[in-house]
Amino acid sequence: MWLEHTEEFFKGFLPYYVLIFLPIFIIISPANPVAASHEFPVYRMQHFDLHGVSHGCRSASINLEARSLMGWTTSRHCVVTKLKDLTVDHFMEIRNKAGALLVVLPNNLSKLSKEDKHHLVLLENAMMMEDIKIPVYFCKETKELNNIVKEVGTNNAADDKKISAAEAMLASVSANGYQIVVSPKTPSAKTDVKVATIQGNLVGHSADGKIPTIAIVAHYDSFGVAPDLAFGADSNGSGVAMLLELVRLFSVLYSDPKTHGKFNIVFLLTGAGKLNYQGSKKWLEDQLDSLDGSIIQEASYVMCLDSTASSSSLYMHVSKPPKEGSAASIFFNKLKLASDSFVEASVEGVHKKINLADDLLAWEHERFSIRRLPSFTLSSLKSHKDFKRSTILDVRDNLSLDTLVQNTQIVADALANHIYNLTGGAVFGNSLKVERNAVEAWLDYLSSQSRSAQMLSNKDNVLVSQLKDTFGRYLRDVKITYAIPDKRDPEFVFYDVTQGTMNVYSVKPAFFDLILTMGIVAYLVTIYFAIQKFPVFYTIACSITKNKKQN
Amino acid sequence: MTLYHFGNCVALIYVPYYLTYKYSGLSEYGAFWKCIQAGMIYMFTQLCKMLVLATFFPDNDADIGSDLLGEFLKATVDIADLVGLYFVLSGIPGKGHSKVLTAGIGWATAEVILSRALLLWVGARGAEFDWKYIQKCLESNIFLIQHISSATLIWLWSRHDLKTNLKPIVTALLIFTAYKGLMLDILLKVLMTGPWMMLVIKALVTLATGGFTLTIYAGLAQAIGIF
Repeated sequence: MWLEHTEEFFKGFLPYYVLIFLPIFIIISPANPVAASHEFPVYRMQHFDLHGVSHGCRSASINLEARSLMGWTTSRHCVVTKLKDLTVDHFMEIRNKAGALLVVLPNNLSKLSKEDKHHLVLLENAMMMEDIKIPVYFCKETKELNNIVKEVGTNNAADDKKISAAEAMLASVSANGYQIVVSPKTPSAKTDVKVATIQGNLVGHSADGKIPTIAIVAHYDSFGVAPDLAFGADSNGSGVAMLLELVRLFSVLYSDPKTHGKFNIVFLLTGAGKLNYQGSKKWLEDQLDSLDGSIIQEASYVMCLDSTASSSSLYMHVSKPPKEGSAASIFFNKLKLASDSFVEASVEGVHKKINLADDLLAWEHERFSIRRLPSFTLSSLKSHKDFKRSTILDVRDNLSLDTLVQNTQIVADALANHIYNLTGGAVFGNSLKVERNAVEAWLDYLSSQSRSAQMLSNKDNVLVSQLKDTFGRYLRDVKITYAIPDKRDPEFVFYDVTQGTMNVYSVKPAFFDLILTMGIVAYLVTIYFAIQKFPVFYTIACSITKNKKQN
Repeated sequence: MTLYHFGNCVALIYVPYYLTYKYSGLSEYGAFWKCIQAGMIYMFTQLCKMLVLATFFPDNDADIGSDLLGEFLKATVDIADLVGLYFVLSGIPGKGHSKVLTAGIGWATAEVILSRALLLWVGARGAEFDWKYIQKCLESNIFLIQHISSATLIWLWSRHDLKTNLKPIVTALLIFTAYKGLMLDILLKVLMTGPWMMLVIKALVTLATGGFTLTIYAGLAQAIGIF
């Protein structure tokens, strides 16, 4: 009795219940319940303002269809390409018309061929020329990603004008589309930016009271097209490692009364060097404009170390050739002398006037030269325009430790010869020498992390406090000064969202769904007829058994 | 893919069930409640199976082939399905046709709702497209045939008026049904075919079993006079 009622109940009311509950289920269940089958870490391009000019890519979120370098047409496509296929011309077009760009970087940057390396730095430079409206991301290649790139590359048939409509239709049904989704928050200017500059002194000793000062400066940040990929082993990990080794050597010498030098040595690790040397600028302003004066005002010279490991020849970059007999000129001669003890090593002077019309200063010493301090930069790069100073290629594996150790040896010898007024030859020999292990440890540590200025500018940065602790161990009067951009008219602005997670969904076009529905309907009709005709099968089965009986 | 694709999958999976229910004449018998009962017994059987599996086969997730004996014993637990079906059959009064169909459809429907509905809801509705949902749906259609034929086999097996020379065949078919999954898995492991081929093989094997069953059933039905 009540069984029939139940059935009646279901027959009568089920559709209405479904009408109410199904939409509710759909609404309350999460919009996208399945995690993407592919997730990749991606690194966003640089995004910062300097002197009111915006640099890098200005947006971050992508939700677009993936297309290959050849296959994209509109701004609804995200171009996915391998680094080696992307040319500067392509990039210019993508920048203006496409929706987003994803560049797949080779896994091991140190194993690239020379042409590829050259191509990469050129491209990087072209990318950083102007600001970009579309989001640009980089990611390391993996097997899955390679497959996706490959498949995306073969799926251009739908847009090919040459093939027939039917072929195009078939292609669009059989093709696997990919939807690329990166949804970080909107990039906003970082508010608590503090660019740290670390200073430490070794105080000299002299009988007649007047003690000249030598300043040794290196900026510790790095630069690359993506902040998270800028490891900066050579520029300027090598400079920092060299400076720290000098700190160690001279602190040992200065701690012994017999070898106490006649010069004060100021060691300076400046921040945001890649952004027009903001750290040293701020530090100089503090030092020179303060009322009680500073030891830097009596500086014999300021020596800046920048990218010191890419070749065994050292270049001394000056804005004004040092006068004969001045401290810088003496040091230059000592440097030449010190390099004579090595076969391949050479020292050369490079003179380049400061171009005040330029937005960016060429070398760090120009910051000091502008303030009329005798200064020079030691680098193993001949030109300040060398792209090697700002590339993601600048990783530890691309760097030769031997060169760095040798260059450190030369600089340390020259400096000691100058300070103790010796006639030449190697000062650091047996008991006190440039320790290869110490240099290597620092270089490894520095190049193991990306040191873009925006990554190091947060409060209580680990790297900054590590450097400060190291200074504290060897030097006196260790201080940190912070360059904080002005609230109203900031000289530089950093933006967050430097990396994110990219989800890649394999999708089919809506047209495919329609085809699928048609297929399903056809299948169901077949099933329907099969069930309708089931008595026929049954009769056949019956006849078979009948035949058996008769036999 | 979204909701539309989900609709596609649901249509593919449940419409054949509905059609079978509707056009086999069961709806006229008022067998709806009986089908639900069959589903309840299905659930109970699965619960018992799970208890046994969880107790005696802890964390045995190894690949097929590495532990054949374990896999074999696990497949043996599937005989519980047959026992469950037997209970369903014994709980349904009535003549051969409707009895067997009610048990088979009720059992298969319960399985399809419990094992596929959530999978489709979570999987096929997402942005990601994957053929596996369509494959699962087609596989469920195969299961419908399989469950109806195994219900028929059990019914035949429980009959005393089955010819003695047919009894071993029925028993063999029943055992084959229980171990079919394992055998097919091993076969596919050896053949290394894709999922579509696997589906075709499953369909062919199931259809063959179903054909055999139908023939035997037709013979018996004629002999005892139900049409």
